[in-house]
Amino acid sequence: MKSNQIISDELLNSFVDDELELDEKSELINAIRHDDTLKERVCELRGLKEMVQHAYRQPPSCTVPTVKKSAHWKHSCIQNISRLAACVLLLVLGWSSGWVMSARSQSASDQKLMPVFQATQSNNVAEKPNNFIVNVSSSNPARLKTALDETENLLEANKRADQPFKVEIVANGGGVNLLRSDVSPFAKRIALMRAKYPNFDYLACKVSISKMQKNGVIVRLLPHTGITPSASEEINKRLIQGWDYVRI
Amino acid sequence: MSPIFGETLKMKILSLFCGTDTFQEQFETIRPNLYRVAFSWSHNAALADDLVQEALVKALKNTGQLRDPALFNGWVFSILANCWRDHFRQHREMDDIDELEDCLCSTQTSPEDDHSQSQIVSRVRAAVAKLPIGQRQVLTLVDLEGFPYIEVASILAIPIGTVMSRLSRARQELKILLNELAPQHSAHVSHLRRVI
Repeated sequence: MKSNQIISDELLNSFVDDELELDEKSELINAIRHDDTLKERVCELRGLKEMVQHAYRQPPSCTVPTVKKSAHWKHSCIQNISRLAACVLLLVLGWSSGWVMSARSQSASDQKLMPVFQATQSNNVAEKPNNFIVNVSSSNPARLKTALDETENLLEANKRADQPFKVEIVANGGGVNLLRSDVSPFAKRIALMRAKYPNFDYLACKVSISKMQKNGVIVRLLPHTGITPSASEEINKRLIQGWDYVRI
Repeated sequence: MSPIFGETLKMKILSLFCGTDTFQEQFETIRPNLYRVAFSWSHNAALADDLVQEALVKALKNTGQLRDPALFNGWVFSILANCWRDHFRQHREMDDIDELEDCLCSTQTSPEDDHSQSQIVSRVRAAVAKLPIGQRQVLTLVDLEGFPYIEVASILAIPIGTVMSRLSRARQELKILLNELAPQHSAHVSHLRRVI
């Protein structure tokens, strides 16, 4: 076996991470047994690995939304029936599979969702009512304005089409400024929208608010602003419920 | 039909035929792991949360790209790595220093900070935060998620040799940083003594 000097750090790391072939591993174990310095190097690497694992075992503020098992179980029977119905549907609508597969290939980045948003308002509101969650995380006034413009257009189109669906703005990070009574440049507009559209809600992320408060910012929110424990939790919840998600 | 309804309908049809609720369960299961890694890269809880959310949304929209379900974890982590790369490119010159939690930027420390830094968790996080991003990513994917080198290479789209050298350098650097960040104990310890 190679001497301690020749055995590279890469090789020892591979040993510690269990990446070596059986032969190499046996050879190295043998070398370690007879070489205290080598043993020390391996122990050190293992110690570092353990420390990294320990340091991130419980990262802070991890608000993980979990699916309740009981609720999941209750829905399983319904889901099985749905699957059966879906199989029948597959036979009837065989021709549609080509369309579905072509639709899959379409990339849908956040930016690309914007024109999608507009297309939805103008053409297809009547086809199928769908709820929308709009996420604003930037304090850039132009972005805040875009968020409100798009939301209002959508609500207006929705009103005309007489199809009840909900639109929810969830603000986190810098986006919370949109909903701060002392900072928001759009407080009046939001109040008017609220009065005009009963299916419009807006929520601020509690994690972001706490962070601001920690930095000495006094956060006063607009009337009727809801608070969600975490924006990501809210978005995740809505996605699971089948809402469409738009990030501004 | 608008693309967004097409997308939604497509997702629902796929969920009915392919049992995408399994996907949903997988997303739920993997979320804490993604968050842990995102946090270890950014050391910013809010940013990590955003990155994970973005990665999950992209993954949900592109489930069809995943040919082999066995590769699910690596696939989602590669999306996370892309999100992180995009974020890093967009905010390279705009990162708020105040947002970098656990990064020891200040030389002035309060007694509370001293106490905190004496804790092993804070020290290791601070040391990891000081590693170059490439090394940090490799180190955390190997140590926290236990990915094999070959999979880390695939997630980060780098050669496996680069994975090995980055990992080696990361651990060498980490060792030095942990020694630097270790609380210094004074050799001259003052004791209380009774004065009559």
